[in-house]
Amino acid sequence: MKKTIPMMIVMIGGLIWLFWAFSPHYIMQEDFLYKFYIPWSWAMIPPATILGIISLSMMHKAKIQRRAHKWQYSFFFFAGFITITLAGFLGGTQKGGLYMWMFENMQMPMSATMFALLAFYMASAAYKAFRARSPEATVLLLAAIIVMLAQVPIGTRISKYLPDISQWILDVPNLASKRGIMLGVGLGSIATSLKILLGIERSYLGGGD
Amino acid sequence: MKFFKRMQELDRRWIYIIIALAIVVPLMIPFDSDNLTTPSTENLYQMIDSFSGREDRAILMSFAHDASTMPELFPMEVAILRHCFERNIKVFTFSNSPLGAPIIDYAINTVKDEYPQIESGVHYCNFGYKPNMFAIVIGMGDNIATTMNVDAEGRKVETLPIMRGITNYTEMNLVVEFSGSVAGGTWIVYARPKFGLNVAVGVTAVMAADQYPYLQSGQLIGMLSGLKGAAEYEKLVDVFATNEQSFSSEKLSDPRIRDLIKITTQSVASFTQTEFTAFLNRYPQQKDLIEKYREEKDGIIQINWSQIPPQHTEQLGFFVMDELQRKANHIKYSFKTARVGMNAQSVAHIVMIVFIILGNLGYFVQKLSDKK
Repeated sequence: MKKTIPMMIVMIGGLIWLFWAFSPHYIMQEDFLYKFYIPWSWAMIPPATILGIISLSMMHKAKIQRRAHKWQYSFFFFAGFITITLAGFLGGTQKGGLYMWMFENMQMPMSATMFALLAFYMASAAYKAFRARSPEATVLLLAAIIVMLAQVPIGTRISKYLPDISQWILDVPNLASKRGIMLGVGLGSIATSLKILLGIERSYLGGGD
Repeated sequence: MKFFKRMQELDRRWIYIIIALAIVVPLMIPFDSDNLTTPSTENLYQMIDSFSGREDRAILMSFAHDASTMPELFPMEVAILRHCFERNIKVFTFSNSPLGAPIIDYAINTVKDEYPQIESGVHYCNFGYKPNMFAIVIGMGDNIATTMNVDAEGRKVETLPIMRGITNYTEMNLVVEFSGSVAGGTWIVYARPKFGLNVAVGVTAVMAADQYPYLQSGQLIGMLSGLKGAAEYEKLVDVFATNEQSFSSEKLSDPRIRDLIKITTQSVASFTQTEFTAFLNRYPQQKDLIEKYREEKDGIIQINWSQIPPQHTEQLGFFVMDELQRKANHIKYSFKTARVGMNAQSVAHIVMIVFIILGNLGYFVQKLSDKK
């Protein structure tokens, strides 16, 4: 019973969406979607948000109480969460308020800095690890140099053919491999979905079977 | 031999310093460069431009990213908003992520500062943060006003003047999604086959390769790829939109457009006699002050706007100064950030290639000496 009911819900829910995707009937396309699903999914958002906030707060509270590993950082969660919530509720989220000031002067530069670190790691990895150890690695290395040069204005000054060669690399070998991967992922997703719908795949229910 | 051995053992911190300098110096000392435009950027530009001046057409910009990817994505958003404001194209904005909502405000404020005539609810409408992506995508195919209900300022969407002539995807026929990861997926899977919506994306450079299959199959009508895509779009806006011209590939290959895309400060506005008379007639109250700064060279009237002191720029007002700067082909900083960034990227790419070559040289020399 503990597993049968959740499995039935998943199977019925999945089959409904399968019918929606393949049946043009107005009961599925209009009545089900616009009169039932969309209003209900809207109604689910506020409780889901509140649940998320409660769950996150409880997790950090427990971490502080148990003095778990790096528990001090949990204070930053509460500080950030309370400050930004108050700033938004009291001063509004528009230009001129504390919320927007914090976004422009704190969140934006800090997040961008974290992302910018990538350039340093990439340069270091390029120097220390990007070696032409095999024919395949040599092809990869040459392709990387061509694409990197063609991406920037200096590259197009070196040779007018570079952008065309780079575009060919992106359009042909890159596309072929990407499409292959995507087809594999797609077929895998269909197979897994069918196994779930037919009740063969049950690991999502927990318990290991 | 010793040199290569030492180079192989080079401390990472030296690499970090060199990369930091390669990025910071070109950012501080801008120079003019030309970013060749790619078909995926040109297609998106042309599609948006085809909506120009039409009451029954609009675009939707979906901000599906947070602040971390802003250096690459924000210039794209600013460039597209600027294109829309220049060419009188209705634009809607929304974010499916709470972290994207302040980015929309920031982008609109950045562009709006230079377009004081643009009004919220009339020329653009920000829906703000709206959860439940699937319901939004499907719902707007039926009716945008009932799906979105209220905009970010709490006004009923159906009562806004911008909604005149706009009902669903038949009119709001293009969505451009900006994302630091997978972009456009929901729109391609649900809105394109069901409602025929045109989809385009703006993605970070590392994610661009993932989008090529959709681009080639035509499921994406265009794509801005990383900072380069943003720089290309900025260029197209400077060449065509600000000069009220339609896209033409012939004009793009004309070397004279270099004067329109210079990112260094351009301070001299040149007028023919007729143009100058028309300019004065547009601003009769500031006529005397404008005359004070005119200079004549070979029958051409010139005004160096950078020499006008602050108290006079205030008296001349926003519109006179804006027209002078446009006439000088001067591009404001917020509208050329991607191109300034591309200069830094140029130097950084060259440095990285040098690193790769040096690293490999050292590797092979050492391998050779080990064999001996």
